[in-house]
Amino acid sequence: MSLLGNVLEHYVMLAGLIFAIGAVGFLIRRNVLVQLMCIELMLNAVNLALVGYNRVHVGDMTGHLFAFFVIAVAAAELAVGLAIVIAFYRLKSSVQSDEADALRH
Amino acid sequence: MNLLFPLSPLLVTGFGALLLMLTEAFGTPRVRAAAGEEVVDAGAGRSGELALGAAVVLLAGAVLSVAVWLAGPAASPELKLLEPWLVFDGVALFMSFVLCLGGAFTALLAGGYLPEHQIDRGEFFPLLILATLGAQVLSASGDLLMLFVGLETMSLAVYAMIGLRRGSARAVEAALKYFLLGSFAAALMLFGGALLYGATGHTDLRGIGQAVASIGQPESTVNAGLVLLGLTLNLVGLAFKVSAVPFHMWTPDAYEGAPTPTTTFMAVAVKTAAFAILMRLLLTSFGDERAMSWGAGWPPVLALLAIVTMTVANLIAGRQESVKRMLAYSSIAHAGYVLIGLVATMRSPIEGQASVMVYLLTYTVSTAGAFGALILCGSRGAEAVSYDDLAGIGRRHPAAALVFTLFLLSLAGMPPTAGFFGKLYIFRAAIDSELYWLTVLGLLNSLVAAYYYLRVIVSMYFREPAPGAPVATPMRSGLVTGALVLAAFLVLAIGLAPATPLAMALGSLTGG
Repeated sequence: MSLLGNVLEHYVMLAGLIFAIGAVGFLIRRNVLVQLMCIELMLNAVNLALVGYNRVHVGDMTGHLFAFFVIAVAAAELAVGLAIVIAFYRLKSSVQSDEADALRH
Repeated sequence: MNLLFPLSPLLVTGFGALLLMLTEAFGTPRVRAAAGEEVVDAGAGRSGELALGAAVVLLAGAVLSVAVWLAGPAASPELKLLEPWLVFDGVALFMSFVLCLGGAFTALLAGGYLPEHQIDRGEFFPLLILATLGAQVLSASGDLLMLFVGLETMSLAVYAMIGLRRGSARAVEAALKYFLLGSFAAALMLFGGALLYGATGHTDLRGIGQAVASIGQPESTVNAGLVLLGLTLNLVGLAFKVSAVPFHMWTPDAYEGAPTPTTTFMAVAVKTAAFAILMRLLLTSFGDERAMSWGAGWPPVLALLAIVTMTVANLIAGRQESVKRMLAYSSIAHAGYVLIGLVATMRSPIEGQASVMVYLLTYTVSTAGAFGALILCGSRGAEAVSYDDLAGIGRRHPAAALVFTLFLLSLAGMPPTAGFFGKLYIFRAAIDSELYWLTVLGLLNSLVAAYYYLRVIVSMYFREPAPGAPVATPMRSGLVTGALVLAAFLVLAIGLAPATPLAMALGSLTGG
């Protein structure tokens, strides 16, 4: 059990690290496509954490199930997001979020 | 097994959305294509009928919510089969009523607004109903998984509704900002959820609650640090959704850039659903004595959030030149008042929750009315957005100005409108919980807020448009008028008989 405990700790730390990279990337990058990728990174970190935790919470597959839902919904979310980015690109010929300045006061 | 009736509020919206989608897709567009172009949207030019259909579906959802509420969720033991995923109790039914009502107002307003401003696209209405369905599921979810699915169903539809006016840089920018911050917030909530699952082994809110309550007992294996981090991430994610300061940056931009009916929906339904699930999450999963105490729990955090939200939003709202943007800040400020009600649940859970529920109802009718009146005051090419646009409306179009005044007074919290009693119950619950200074700050903020609401009224009645300035002429639309009449009726009815919604809210909580 102690071996498994250690392995779990590593998985969770890796998940936390990936999540942090995604979050920091989202906040400091100005390219919308990169920001979308960072969100995907964060969601995948969530999946890793969920699946990892399922190893200690044996008895049901809640963590795995949750991860599948996250994958499916993330795909739908990205479809809407890319549509918005394309509409934005058509108007501004750019994917830099700095260009989104029409509404600043 | 008879689940059809108790679940009918959800089924009506779900199937209604699909039916409307088919009606829209297989109909014939009513607009003639310009030379060399092709009309690709089968719903083009049919906003009127589609809006009416959507409004009927959503009002049916609202009526059925009340019907199921009157029959009592306890009368349908089959509902227990859906737990813990979907907790369709009295509170969820009350919220479902408020959400459907907000959705119906949006549908009626959009039916007038979209053709008037030449964004006559049919897909708005199925999206609107799907968003409402997501909001209903979100407010009724008793499991982190359902919470996530409901939240995303609602949000994805709303992103599309904001970006409806594809050719407008402002609308697309609003959609982009809301999408980026919305999905960031959702990712934060998800990670928070994963940590809660890791710490407790449960994704259902009640199971998490039992595990959280066991923290501090010697045999507990729950890691308190993980729980704290998970709660924090969830609170941040939901604070984004209810647009509490300092997580409100997207709100004014998204509200201003979106088509006004979408703004109405965001201000009304999205916020209501987010508050409903915030309340459920806090009271179910973090409702034990320790987590609800002032010294070691979430109430001081929410109290701080409430103070900052009210104060910052009210100070900035007074400085806006655009009425639409002012209403956006006003909706942020109202989130602050609701947070006071949530804090009040720490010592008087029943009264606190009931005050939040009633407040969300009064806020929904007043805000939907105010945005509706703003829509009414504009017409093609001359959308009323600034104070100057509204100058002199009171003399030229007294009826439009009169309803606008009524909704603004309700938002400001003047008797005998609905808004007054919403605020009264919130502050009373706060006093019952001995949160005197929070009440005082809330009252002071209401006074500050009265300034910018009255400024609109002054603009309408006591100022004339500058010579040569574009003059706003109200649009003519039976749907918008209908929505405003219904909202005005509800504002006055709740204002004159405030005991009824309060009794309903209390009854939802006590099962009576």
